Amino acid sequence: MKNTRREIQDRSFTFFSSLSIVLMVGALVIILGPMLRRGFSAVFFQGTVEFRRMQLAQFGHGDEEAVADEVAQVTELRQEIYAILNKFQAGIEPSALIDRVRSINREYGQELRGKNIVGADYTELRRRARDLRDLLQDALESTDRELVEANLKSVLQHRADPLYTDSVMAEMFVTARQYQNVIQGIDLSHREQYLEPLLEVKDQLRKLLGPMPGEQAPLLMEEYGATRWDIALETLHDLLWQEQWVTVEAGQELQKQLVRREESQFAGTSLAPMFGLAEDHLTDLLRPKRTIYWHYFTDDWKEGHFFGGVGPEIYGTLLITLLTMLFAIPFGVISAAFLVECASEHISVKIIRICVNTLAGVPSIVFGLFGMAFFVLFILPNLDRKPQGCILTAAMTLAVLVLPVIIRASEEAIRSVPATYREASLALGAGKFRTFMTVTLPAALPGILTGIILSLSRAAGETAPILFTGAVDMGPVPRSLFEGSRTLATSGYYIAVGDKIGMMAPHKQYGLITTLIVLVLGLNILAILLRSRMSRKLRGQ
Amino acid sequence: MNHPTDISQYRGEKTASVSASAEFNRPLLLTPGEDLRGYLVGHGGRIFLFLMTCISVLSVLLIFIFVIREALPFLREQGLRDSITSRNWYPERAEGAGAEFGMLALFAGSMYVTLASLILSVPIGLSAAVFLSDIAPFWLRQVSKPIIEILAAIPSVAYGFFAILVLAPYMQKYWNFDTGANALNASLILSLMALPTIISVAEDSLSAVGREIREASYGLGATRCETMLKVVMPTAHSGIIAAVILGMMRAIGETMVVWMASGNANQIPTPWWDISQSVRTMTATIAGEMGETSQNSVHWHALFMIGVFLLIFTFGLNMISEYFLARVKKSGGK
Amino acid sequence: MTKLSTPAASSHLFDFKGTIESKSKTVTTPNPEQTDICECSVVSAKDFSFYYGKTTGVKNISMEIFPCRVTAIIGPSGCGKSTFLRSINRMNDLIPATRATGILEVNGQNIYDKRTNLVNLRQQVGMVFQKPNPFAKSIFDNVAYGPRLQGIRNRTKLEGLVEECLKSSALWDEVKDNLDKSALALSGGQQQRLCIARALATNPRVLLMDEPCSALDPLATARIEDLIEQLKTQYTIIIVTHNMQQAARVSEHAAFFCLGELIEYDLTPKLFTNPSHKQTEDYITGRFG
Repeated sequence: MKNTRREIQDRSFTFFSSLSIVLMVGALVIILGPMLRRGFSAVFFQGTVEFRRMQLAQFGHGDEEAVADEVAQVTELRQEIYAILNKFQAGIEPSALIDRVRSINREYGQELRGKNIVGADYTELRRRARDLRDLLQDALESTDRELVEANLKSVLQHRADPLYTDSVMAEMFVTARQYQNVIQGIDLSHREQYLEPLLEVKDQLRKLLGPMPGEQAPLLMEEYGATRWDIALETLHDLLWQEQWVTVEAGQELQKQLVRREESQFAGTSLAPMFGLAEDHLTDLLRPKRTIYWHYFTDDWKEGHFFGGVGPEIYGTLLITLLTMLFAIPFGVISAAFLVECASEHISVKIIRICVNTLAGVPSIVFGLFGMAFFVLFILPNLDRKPQGCILTAAMTLAVLVLPVIIRASEEAIRSVPATYREASLALGAGKFRTFMTVTLPAALPGILTGIILSLSRAAGETAPILFTGAVDMGPVPRSLFEGSRTLATSGYYIAVGDKIGMMAPHKQYGLITTLIVLVLGLNILAILLRSRMSRKLRGQ
Repeated sequence: MNHPTDISQYRGEKTASVSASAEFNRPLLLTPGEDLRGYLVGHGGRIFLFLMTCISVLSVLLIFIFVIREALPFLREQGLRDSITSRNWYPERAEGAGAEFGMLALFAGSMYVTLASLILSVPIGLSAAVFLSDIAPFWLRQVSKPIIEILAAIPSVAYGFFAILVLAPYMQKYWNFDTGANALNASLILSLMALPTIISVAEDSLSAVGREIREASYGLGATRCETMLKVVMPTAHSGIIAAVILGMMRAIGETMVVWMASGNANQIPTPWWDISQSVRTMTATIAGEMGETSQNSVHWHALFMIGVFLLIFTFGLNMISEYFLARVKKSGGK
Repeated sequence: MTKLSTPAASSHLFDFKGTIESKSKTVTTPNPEQTDICECSVVSAKDFSFYYGKTTGVKNISMEIFPCRVTAIIGPSGCGKSTFLRSINRMNDLIPATRATGILEVNGQNIYDKRTNLVNLRQQVGMVFQKPNPFAKSIFDNVAYGPRLQGIRNRTKLEGLVEECLKSSALWDEVKDNLDKSALALSGGQQQRLCIARALATNPRVLLMDEPCSALDPLATARIEDLIEQLKTQYTIIIVTHNMQQAARVSEHAAFFCLGELIEYDLTPKLFTNPSHKQTEDYITGRFG
């Protein structure tokens, strides 16, 4: 039946049309959702004691006393972990111990001399000490368990000797005793195999808790542990679990599997309890607290966006944008006024309209080319300045880009003022100029303002025109208008494609772009609200 | 009848007597001085406004002059033929055949992503325009307009961010592409960016068709689908063509998204329909290479030459869309 | 009752000699108090034509408008009534490519002279438009707009002036509590009365009203007509109207325009009951228009 076919056609047409809106809304949510969510976490997150320490030291934010207190408390707890770690390390990498043992021996010699023991006694005591030292040293160096245990036993036999009670030699016995404990769970013959995993573990621990006491961090990044709780959890995971490639089925590809380190690498060693300790007490070790990092918007970044915020970027964006408006608004509104009030059908007016439309269609990168060729390379040298991009040239380039937007919006606003307004004013004896200023312009003002806000948001988001005419990748906060500046848009680009350090702190990347999006969308929503208020006001409510 | 109060007493001037000797207490003729002053001020003001408005003309002239000026040395040195026909873009090559400036792959790249994005955005955009002008209830229309404006307002670098950090890895992982930065990625994002333009212009011209034509068609028993497809859209065809052209201009002129998402490989995809390969557009070439090129080298001028091509092309598209928009106005549209 | 006589036959023009002669006689008007009215015409058209490009607006209009009366201009659509009215205060200047020939005098001064002081003209020849068009300002600012243009800045003076004008236009009682309310919040009839008050505030001598009641309901219309009745004692009112009954109600003199020409101009009672020209009769009886 033809009619049913038409009906089906009609229904599906309606359905697909409605689908398009759903698709668009879906696309909007898909795009904005994840980015905004991750971006918000740059400001709203759970910050650890490391974060607070970093904020205080690098930016001067926070209460010194409170932070010092926290650090002190946390350090106490961490000592346990470090102790286990150090003991274990000593067990498998005894070179430090060996050095210590040798120096103990030397010190003993000094001690003897200090007690004025000379002659045959001195030689004898020195000989005995040297024997102990050699025994211990062999024990430390050897991988033969029997030898090690035998030597340790013979060294420890002398522990109770009153000769050594008050002397520095006591430490030697302590060392021997500790070493005995440590090697309980270690396969001495495979001591080396613990070395690399231990370094991994130490690395993860450093990322988690910061540098160990007595260590220096070469990079700023490494001076602090995990500043955010989510990073801490990730690092903990890396600390506890190890990736292994195992053969699950014979003949198949190796598959990745996660195994706990305490069961695989460090099974049965004295280090094993440390993992459980770290896992159970992580909260106490790091003290996570809900943080709202307001200073994100004012702090500069350190170490390539790893720490800090986007203050200078926001500053640069605002500065350039406002300057753009300063240039573009007078020309734009006055041009619109001319086109509406004074224009005749003369050819010059037609040319002006063609030019405005052309301006609106020029691609943004061509504006960048123009800005460079004209403002930077032509105007600046004529002002006796170095031909290099600066805030001023960036603003002027953006002003040309934004001009047609303002002209169009203002023209529409002025044109939509009913003709009878003008007639009424003129009929009361006002001249054309006064009519415009006192009647037409106030009535058109909401529309003009909407256009201005929209072009402001456009200027804040544009990247291509200012890439070569004023925006820089890194640099100090600009002090004069003739310097370049970082902006949200260009930094967003740089951080997305080039910045390795940025990659390590994805929340910072997203934070930057989220700030830009929030700024731009905020302005747009403002314009939308303004417009709806205006239409309500003109209806007399 | 009571005598109305004489309101001229508030003037402090010589009051005319109430009753109506129709006396006009202000002269109706300008003194020569006033006349001259009025003339000067009026004309002077108009000339001032005219000059201020000419700033837009000045800007366009300056843009053309300065971009072309920087591109001329390239024309002189390299000539046009090789650039347009060859796809070997090796602007900084020192040995071998020397530097080559074949822009064919760049042109192809731009057209490729633009047309691909139009394939997606035109149907969706027109459907959305139809939905908004004819099917949606008033409240839905009010809600949709801000959504479309928000879509249009998102800065292109944010789109590019999404493209390279979210979409590209996704494509690589789930769709087994060689690389996530390819023509498909760029086209998808570009179509999203062109949508608001297409929707708003198309919807305006559909609404401008007016109720009468629709009522005539419904009165003859046509369904909504038939009315839209056979009556309303043909009537609004000028506006729809203008919408598509404007969307095309948006896609061609876009820089940041294609730079971040298209992969920037200087090649024409083989086979031509393999959209998962990387391409490079004109805009991305300029943006990507300008920072590393030394001033006044041939490479530099070549980049400006690409800019000239872009300028001419978008200018041409602009004129065409203006023609169609003028036809809309003439047929009593807006 | 002396008729304003027209010479017979073909000439549709008003005979000036006749007018001047009749000046010396007393012209009876509805208001017997004003017997010493000067009979100089306020507005005087002598062979006045107005063209919009190629189209004719009005052709060869010659008539005189007398002070302190209501003169109604009636006629079918497109006959040039509004054109003529708007010529009197040069509002037609807003339309491009227009041309005027002949003489149109206000207070003896040809206002189409190139050196006319338009500001003064428009302040003394006020206009009320068809659709009420108050500014998007407060009621006070609307009425005070004209006086402010004239340089009156003193707040007390302005307040007094505004009060007077609003009283004259019979709006005061309804708005006196809140003069700062937006003018757009008033009803249609109130807005029109506001526009009348606004026009009165510049102290005009002539009020031009271009179909002032056509956008209003009958109640508001009645109030405006009462207002016109009160105002005519002080102002010369020229009202263009589609509504013949209204013209018959409010005016003393009536002019009938058709296709751009003045057909008949006479006392209202006579024009409506015993018109001299067939066209007038046809229009009044409804045979066309």
